[in-house]
Amino acid sequence: MIRFILADLRLHAVGVLVIVLLIACSTALGMAVRMEERALRLGSARAADRFDLVVGAAGSETQLVLSSVFLQAAPLPLVSGKVLKALAEDERVEFAAPVGFGDSFLGHPLVGTTAEFVESLGLAEGADPFGTPGEAIVGAGVPLEAGYEIRPMHGLPSQEAGEHEGVVYRVAGRLAPTSTPWDRAILVPIEGVWQAHEHGGEEDGDDGHGHEAHGGEAHDDHARDRLGPPWPEDVRGVPAIIVKPRTIANAYQLRGDYRTETTLAVFPGEVLTRLYSTLGDARRVLTVIALGTQALAAAAVLLVAMAHLAQRRRQIGALRAFGAPRLAVFGVVWSELLLIVGAGVALGVALGYAGAKALALVLGRQSGMSLPVTLEPSDLAFAAALLAVAAVIAVAPAIWAYRQSPAAALRG
Amino acid sequence: MLGLEIEAVAVRYPDLAAPALELPRLSVAPGESLAVTGPSGAGKSTFINVIAGLERATEGAIRWNGEDIGGLSEAARDRWRARNVGLVMQDFHLFPGLSAIENVLLPARFRHLRLPDGLRERAAALLASVHVDAGERRIGTFSRGEMQRVAIARALLSRPGVIVADEPTASLDTESARAVATLLTGLARETGTTLIVVSHDPRLSDRLGRRITLVGGRCADDAADVAPGRRQ
Repeated sequence: MIRFILADLRLHAVGVLVIVLLIACSTALGMAVRMEERALRLGSARAADRFDLVVGAAGSETQLVLSSVFLQAAPLPLVSGKVLKALAEDERVEFAAPVGFGDSFLGHPLVGTTAEFVESLGLAEGADPFGTPGEAIVGAGVPLEAGYEIRPMHGLPSQEAGEHEGVVYRVAGRLAPTSTPWDRAILVPIEGVWQAHEHGGEEDGDDGHGHEAHGGEAHDDHARDRLGPPWPEDVRGVPAIIVKPRTIANAYQLRGDYRTETTLAVFPGEVLTRLYSTLGDARRVLTVIALGTQALAAAAVLLVAMAHLAQRRRQIGALRAFGAPRLAVFGVVWSELLLIVGAGVALGVALGYAGAKALALVLGRQSGMSLPVTLEPSDLAFAAALLAVAAVIAVAPAIWAYRQSPAAALRG
Repeated sequence: MLGLEIEAVAVRYPDLAAPALELPRLSVAPGESLAVTGPSGAGKSTFINVIAGLERATEGAIRWNGEDIGGLSEAARDRWRARNVGLVMQDFHLFPGLSAIENVLLPARFRHLRLPDGLRERAAALLASVHVDAGERRIGTFSRGEMQRVAIARALLSRPGVIVADEPTASLDTESARAVATLLTGLARETGTTLIVVSHDPRLSDRLGRRITLVGGRCADDAADVAPGRRQ
């Protein structure tokens, strides 16, 4: 029986191949949608894991999280330096690290922050970060060697506007891989960012809030012989502050305390949950589309199967006439169809996995975030469900073949 | 060896007023060879279908060695046919994707999970006896005469009690038809198998011991010993 099926498949190899590919493509689409969405959730959740609480100026919560956690640069209103100082000196806070953006180098965002935060991310190379103002710590994914001189360009990576004169950093260390967008960042002392922007005339800030990023009166950053906190009374405003509370209770207190008219405090997780629901909607749409293609593929396969069977009517009649039991005829038709669908689904799972992996690689390279594409038992269950549906549908042509009278089939 | 007793058989189709076949009485002795002739539409195919259990008679009894196959279920008739009838059809009904020996073995493969011991050897011997070389060549490359000889080997595989052939030489050239006629009658005689052949081909029907002629579904003529010289 197996010989007979294989011989028949071989006889129609080209048609079988086309059908298998059709099934594979529609399966792959469904699989890729599932895997990619999960990877995006997992990847972003992992990226947000290291950021307990983010404080910024009143504005969009989503924008604040996207800018600070995912380094999706966008002009943010500045939060007052007084907030930074107050947070840094708050007993409930382990550390409060300012995050300042604005410059970039070879497409890598320069992020101003403090040694505390660098250490919290973990160093793979180098030690005692930001001992001098000219030090830079690069993310794990930045292809610059220690000692390399960085002359940052002003502006966001996408709109590099011109070199800052005189500001030079030297690569002094490298972060351990974090699988977050921070792997693509170049970290420098926040004081350097403040200082650099004294020369430029541009405003990163939202004037409406009255906090200026730079310019105006002179600051005595130069005068201080050390970097980082404790901050002076007149410390400058920053776009975002990443806060590490000491306890979970502290985290909730701080979040409440800093939700004011001028400031915003968010757990990145809560913002992500909101984003996920949007992502979930997108996935539902894509899933419906994928199911639609699967239904079309199923209809096409059924049509081809019936046409093929009509051609084989005499052959099926002959099998019966020469003594094949009816159940064997049913079995031949059913298992031949299932073999084709099974091959298609298996190929589709592989294609979908490869496709999702490739897409995750491209997206990951763009964002620095690692998107963990995994093949979960639920994916295999999904494939098995497709196969089960196919097994049920394949019963129709098999019953048709089963019910053929051998005499009628031979005559026709 | 199977003998046939037909009693009061009629086959009617819903859209036809007259019965397609009406045989009050017909018997074929075990080992006898019978030719069935007649104009087209005379009921020859219906006769073949009914006696081979491919189709059920509307009324009457078809007894092979006393067993009425009309009373069997469809599955039981399939089983009975597989065991007792060797079918040879005008269009061979060989499967093009398989070799000659696999075609001969195909019905057996559908019946058994594992081929019984010696069956493959028997298939090869049968192919040799019909002068077909049992190589791995796919059946699609065979000539029509070779194909019909493979079909004869297939019909004989399960040592049937009766060989039923429907126009076995009609689609063959003269030379192949002669070879097939010789093989069919010769092998049936050697094994003592009952042979029932529907044929218009006198080169084949003349070799058979008895001839009936069907006209309008009825037996119009029943002549034994048409060619006594051929009968042994």
